Amino acid sequence: MWRGLWTLVARAARGPRSPRPCTRQGSGAPAPGSGATVFALSSGQGRCGIAVIRTSGPASGQALRSLTAPRDLPPARKACLRLLSDPRSGEPLDRALVLWFPGPQSFTGEDCAEFHVHGGPAVVSGVLQALGSVPGLRPAEAGEFTRRAFAHGKLSLTEVEGLADLIHAETEAQRRQALRQLDGELSHLCRGWAETLTKALAHVEAYIDFGEDDNLEEGVLDRADSEVRELEVALGAHLRDARRGQRLRSGAHVVVAGPPNAGKSSLVNLLSRKPVSIVSPEPGTTRDVLETPVDLAGFPALLSDTAGLREGVGPVEQEGVRRAQKRLEQADLILAVLDASDLASPSSCNFLDTVVIPAGAGSPNGRSQRLLLVLNKSDLLPAGGPDPSADLPPYLLLSCLTGEGLDGLLEALRKELAALCGDPSTGPPLLTRARHQHHLQGCLDALGHYKQAKDLALAAEALRVARGHLTRITGGGGTEEILDIIFQDFCVGK
Amino acid sequence: MFSFRGCGRWVAASLTKQHHPSSRFSGDSAAPWTPHFDVVVIGGGHAGTEAAAAAARCGSRTLLLTHRVDTIGQMSCNPSFGGIGKGHLMREVDALDGLCSRICDQSGVHYKVLNRRKGPAVWGLRAQIDRKLYKQNMQKEILNTPLLTVQEGAVEDLILTEPEPEHTGKYRVSGVVLVDGSTVYAESVVLTTGTFLRGMIVIGLEMHPAGRLGDQPSIGLAQTLEKLGFVVGRLKTGTPPRIAKESINFSILNKQTPDNPSIPFSFINETVWIKPEDQLPCYLTHTNPQVDEIVLENLHLNCHVKETTKGPRYCPSIESKVLRFPNRLHQVWLEPEGLDSDLIYPQGLSVTLPAELQEKMITCIRGLEKAKMIQPGYGVQYDYLDPRQITPSLETHLVQRLFFAGQINGTTGYEEAAAQGVIAGINASLRVRHKPPFVISRTEGYIGVLIDDLTTLGTNEPYRMFTSRAEFRLSLRPDNADSRLTFRGYKEAGCVSQQRYERAIWMKSSLEEGISVLKSIEFPSSKWKNLIPEASISIGKSLPLRALDVLKYEEVDIELLAKAVPEPLRKYTKCRELAERLKIEATYESVLFHQQQEIKEVQRDEALQLPKDLDYLTLRDVSLSHEVREKLHFSRPQTIGAASRIPGVTPAAIINLLRFVKTTQQRQAAMDRLPKTDQHLCNTDKLEDRQL
Repeated sequence: MWRGLWTLVARAARGPRSPRPCTRQGSGAPAPGSGATVFALSSGQGRCGIAVIRTSGPASGQALRSLTAPRDLPPARKACLRLLSDPRSGEPLDRALVLWFPGPQSFTGEDCAEFHVHGGPAVVSGVLQALGSVPGLRPAEAGEFTRRAFAHGKLSLTEVEGLADLIHAETEAQRRQALRQLDGELSHLCRGWAETLTKALAHVEAYIDFGEDDNLEEGVLDRADSEVRELEVALGAHLRDARRGQRLRSGAHVVVAGPPNAGKSSLVNLLSRKPVSIVSPEPGTTRDVLETPVDLAGFPALLSDTAGLREGVGPVEQEGVRRAQKRLEQADLILAVLDASDLASPSSCNFLDTVVIPAGAGSPNGRSQRLLLVLNKSDLLPAGGPDPSADLPPYLLLSCLTGEGLDGLLEALRKELAALCGDPSTGPPLLTRARHQHHLQGCLDALGHYKQAKDLALAAEALRVARGHLTRITGGGGTEEILDIIFQDFCVGK
Repeated sequence: MFSFRGCGRWVAASLTKQHHPSSRFSGDSAAPWTPHFDVVVIGGGHAGTEAAAAAARCGSRTLLLTHRVDTIGQMSCNPSFGGIGKGHLMREVDALDGLCSRICDQSGVHYKVLNRRKGPAVWGLRAQIDRKLYKQNMQKEILNTPLLTVQEGAVEDLILTEPEPEHTGKYRVSGVVLVDGSTVYAESVVLTTGTFLRGMIVIGLEMHPAGRLGDQPSIGLAQTLEKLGFVVGRLKTGTPPRIAKESINFSILNKQTPDNPSIPFSFINETVWIKPEDQLPCYLTHTNPQVDEIVLENLHLNCHVKETTKGPRYCPSIESKVLRFPNRLHQVWLEPEGLDSDLIYPQGLSVTLPAELQEKMITCIRGLEKAKMIQPGYGVQYDYLDPRQITPSLETHLVQRLFFAGQINGTTGYEEAAAQGVIAGINASLRVRHKPPFVISRTEGYIGVLIDDLTTLGTNEPYRMFTSRAEFRLSLRPDNADSRLTFRGYKEAGCVSQQRYERAIWMKSSLEEGISVLKSIEFPSSKWKNLIPEASISIGKSLPLRALDVLKYEEVDIELLAKAVPEPLRKYTKCRELAERLKIEATYESVLFHQQQEIKEVQRDEALQLPKDLDYLTLRDVSLSHEVREKLHFSRPQTIGAASRIPGVTPAAIINLLRFVKTTQQRQAAMDRLPKTDQHLCNTDKLEDRQL
């Protein structure tokens, strides 16, 4: 398996990666034939104050210029403060220290750039994705920085600095395992796509290596063509729907909802550690949707306080309820708040029936919504807990007044958000995400080249590139797999 | 310096007595009759002839030892050379001044390039070859090669001595012992024993020892190799029956005619020896359910098929085709064996049934109803040595100066054998002259892919080349083998003639000049459209188009371009090969630019050499899992690139290895700065370590 991976390490670096109009700035086009430029998060994984992202290779200067404003290279080996923004969208990412190390006086001996960014997952992910979109750049493979350093006789430095890289290399073997658990849906999809693509490629290869003299059945190429077309549609749809990546950058939408006077605003204030909403014992205090960006258990989130859901009130509050319901539909995660001491009230029961139960059962449009049920005002409860007669889904007890139960809630939030955004503390999903997007886009681009190619060797090459991108997410990808399919599907040879 | 005695002596010798075990036939009258040579090559097949000729071209006094001189250059199986992937190998052998391509250009009877419509990177040069002519021409070539002596004799044993301390290996080979007890001393020995190592021929339930029908196997040599500790495996292959030409009804079969004009295999030939109209056709027929029936009913009479020994998946016998893909019609190509041969080779009908059933099966097939079988098909089982026991220069890890090439390494096919033969011959010669080995990387040629696959991954079925094995297929094309290998062959190995070298230089500079001229001619697309209305150039692109871009269009060639822009393009139409190669370069230009980057990355890993004497099993101070150690120990990769291609060797292991090697090198460098006596001591220490 490794052999295949390795030969494809380089392959994915090849070409037709960026059919989008090339945004070359200045003279920064990568020098031909001097190898790809790689990038990686080189500080530790997970949450930290400052994260260091490093590039190595001839396009490092270009990468630095296209992410920073002003767009000139900083003086060599001097830390400079720059505004980082995404070169495609212009969206600002972070204000960060950048360093420019022209080769050979650098860590790897090649041109290197370093971005010292604020360590939140959103920022790191944003910068990695921005780098992935710069022509000539690709995510580094495990241990690649160290190997490059070695190749340029820089190992004494590597003895110290290569450590992080090496740790990544060791976790590399576990990367796919982790990926499967974290990102089950995508991994499953990718494996399916890779299988289809490998089969299509095997059939094209069979047509090249055996088509002339052996009697391959009719339509081998036509079938490959239609498989590629379907794959293209599926990949395109997936890439357009990259909600998860956006969540990580701009924060997951967490909506606090519940019947009036359940303590929603108290919870928002508790979680944001500032008085966002006016709190009063009077039901219907919050009438509009109040949004505040917060850091929830290490994840960026947009916390929305909503009007208590009830009927038969004045037009202003009615509008508030309508907005709250709309916001609920868009929520990535609902924090459903009920008054633990008032579970039997009509508004509580109505809320349970219309919001809590349907979310757990999966919504009609097939997107089941994540929801945490919080029973507030636990301080008012008798020692036996909430009324056992109320048939409740799993819940968390909390007292916004005393703070009791807050730790449990935060832990539950961390789990939910990790599932939504990818968990930064279990290792490389940030990298993984940038890689995914990079390779899926690369795969899609290559499939486009396949369709255009008139020369069959060129068409097969495009499929090889496409498969190379996918197998770097899923593993595998050796020539033997291709030959196995050929000999299994066709009676070839004489 | 040397005068050739050449052909005359050979003819005289062959007329008088052919099978005297110690008769030597030499193209080199000055060669003394002392049994000491620089290089001894054992075997006169496709690997052996190339190895012997290459060693001699490199300047080594070489002896070719073969069972019978009259079987030198024998095509034991199919009467054809080349094909998809295999044609690529032949072009590379030719680029190193090897023999088979030139001999094929003198001996073919039906030249046809396969895959013409699929892109020049995968064109497959192929030809039906006249067996008799090939053998004659090959023998003429071998017996006229300066510095090359030929002797009949069967090798029984190797003469071994103490290893050279500066190299790895347990022993060093210093000669061979023949069956008659005589010895020949040699500085290097190349073994190209084909299917002769404990060869066993199988027809029906009968098995008898033979290397090829009618030839003795090599049993003593096989035992020697096993005793030395080489890991031996067993493979099988087969060949179809031969049919009398006049007994076939060709009139009802599909006829395939050769190409016109014929494309030669060799870079130095403008054309082949025979005109297209004088060439012979091939015919196509198919098997039918009756054939299936005979095969299935008689499986109990067929021990070759039942054996567990691995046969090739891609060169299957008719039995395995029927078993694996039942109820299908399988193709049978009826191929001529030569201009004046009355035999036909039914390609696709490899079979090991008892002879009378083979005949029955043949007569079920359309066109063969009255066919007469002249020789039955048979299976061959033979020993091969796990190729992970050799280096990319084809020298064994275990025995210094012992080289293996051809089927002994688990390959199948004339072209695969020839490719290894050239490399083994060159390296056997370089080794004698204490020069660094000549290794072709998988980024440089199919030969590199072949040898890298074998030496790092091994094989458990006969290995055949396919273009799908080459990851840099668009760069490693049949048209450009000379610019990839000829210069290296000339400068590093000395195996390339001055004439070929100069031709390659001319071609390279003409191509470079042509490409830069084509890049320099720029017009708006509308003007191109007017100049070349035949081309489907889309107008409206604001950027001007280079002539090179226009040449990319399928329907445009240099001829057409030169009509549009006579100056300065006319001169590029003069040479057919140059015009064709410019067109090919244009076709792949944009992709090659990216592939070049990727090749650089692979080469970077291949430039990181691993010390040859690492004992991976006992190595301390490096964190490697036991599994990885065993894998490295067995394959002994020479570079980080090769190590990383071994399945199961993780990225972390690669980095640990890198770090270890670097520290060792630094330590070594420090040691080298110490006074001489210390260095001597340190070398003795190392020697003892190794013996432990």
